[in-house]
Parts: sequence; C-alpha cells; structure tokens
Amino acid sequence: MRPAILVLTLGLALAGAAYCGFYFLASAPGRALMDSPTPELAWLKKEFNLTDREFTRISQLHSAYQPKCEEMCSRISAKNAELKELLAQTNALTPEIESKLAEASQLRLECQRSMLKHFIEVGQTMPPQQAKRYLAWVEVRTFLPDYGMKSQ
Amino acid sequence: MKTNQPPEDNDPLRKTLLRWEVSTSLPPRFEERVWERISRATPHGESSVLGVLRKWLETALPRPAIAASYVAILLLGGVAMGYWRGQEKAGQWRHELASRYVQSVDPYQALASKK
Repeated sequence: MRPAILVLTLGLALAGAAYCGFYFLASAPGRALMDSPTPELAWLKKEFNLTDREFTRISQLHSAYQPKCEEMCSRISAKNAELKELLAQTNALTPEIESKLAEASQLRLECQRSMLKHFIEVGQTMPPQQAKRYLAWVEVRTFLPDYGMKSQ
Repeated sequence: MKTNQPPEDNDPLRKTLLRWEVSTSLPPRFEERVWERISRATPHGESSVLGVLRKWLETALPRPAIAASYVAILLLGGVAMGYWRGQEKAGQWRHELASRYVQSVDPYQALASKK
C-alpha cells in the first residue's frame, strides 16, 4: 500500500502547488493594480494603454477635478436632504417641491457639464483611438446610462 | 497424515482439562455480543467495494504508466483550475477598479456608493 499512498499524495501535492502557483501568476496583474497608490488610475492606465507621460498628466487632471467633485457631492447631498424634507411634509406637488426639483435638475446639469468637461480633458491627453473608446465608455457609465433597457 | 482421533485416556492434557471447572459466570449478553462482533467482522457490500478499490489502488497505482498518468492529470487539473480562478479574480478586481474610477468622477455615483 505504501507506493500507492506515495503516488496519491504526490499527485495531490503537485496539483495543490500547481493551483497556487498558477492562481498567483494569473491574478498578479490585478493584484499589482490593487496594490498601487491610486488603484483606479492605475486601472485606467492599463485599460487604455497610457504611457507614463499621459498617465502623469491624467493624474494631475484627476487631482485637480477631485475638489470640484467633492463640492458637487456636498451640494447634491444638501439638495436631496431639502427635497426629502419637503416631500415628508406633504403628499401633494407643491410649488416649493417643484422649485426644489428644478434646483436639483439645475444642479445635475451643472454636475454633468463639469464631468463632461473633465472627460474631454482626459480624452485629449490620450491617443485619438483610446480617447474615443474612453469617452464612449465613461459617458455610458456616468450620464448616459441605459438603465438596463438595452439587451446585454 | 494424522486424523482427528480421540486422544488417549492417559493423555495428561486431557486429564487436566477434565478436572478443570469454570467457576466464574459469563458477563450478561455474552452470546449476543459475540454474534455482533462476528457480524461486524464479516465483510458487507459497501466495505467490499472499498476493498476492491483499495486492492485496485494497491496493484494499479504503483505501475509507472498509471502513476505518471494520474500525476499528470492532477497536475494539469491544478494548472487549469489555478489559472482559471486567477483570471477570474483579476477580472473581479478590474471590474471593481472600473467602478471605483467612475465613482471618483461622478458625484451621483459617489453618493450612491456611500449609502
């Protein structure tokens, strides 16, 4: 029985080692992205084949855009809270609610304009083909979602 | 060839055995337990299947060709599964990072992700 146990164990040990080794190897690029200081920008660099120069410029644009984005977040959050408060007070469409909805729409417009400006700037830093792909990708995921209406 | 003939009356062992008297009583359910042990020791259907498998492993696996095939199949299985799971994990991370990028540029999605 000893040789059989030896072969059985050897086979299982080799399979385990091969599994771990190839799992590590195949997931290494993803792990490298996750371990980078700015994972989402590292992903952008890899996804759109950016050069180091393009990546540096895009990182600068991204950093410059972040405060605007955070400010917009605060404003949207405040506007949503105001609207929620008004909606809680009544079950009718009052002029105040209509006015708040218009303000929220105006804010969304402002936010979308700011986003699109940033996307265009980022796209201009990329090679034309990648820029086209980037803009199509990011626009669908931000202000042109299909809400699942298109078939997959 | 010897046959099972009755031993001679003057055999000392026979004389001793005839004189021997058992003074201790048997434990309760002694007979029943003996039969249970016999029943457990008898091979049943399942254990005989295991026995066949065990016998096959003992005889076939040490053969170089079968051993090499077995090891190669397990090795390839390990490689394929490891590579597949690694790719899947890397894909999950890429998907997560794509979402994180979108959340970092879209205030609405940033707020939605915080809820």
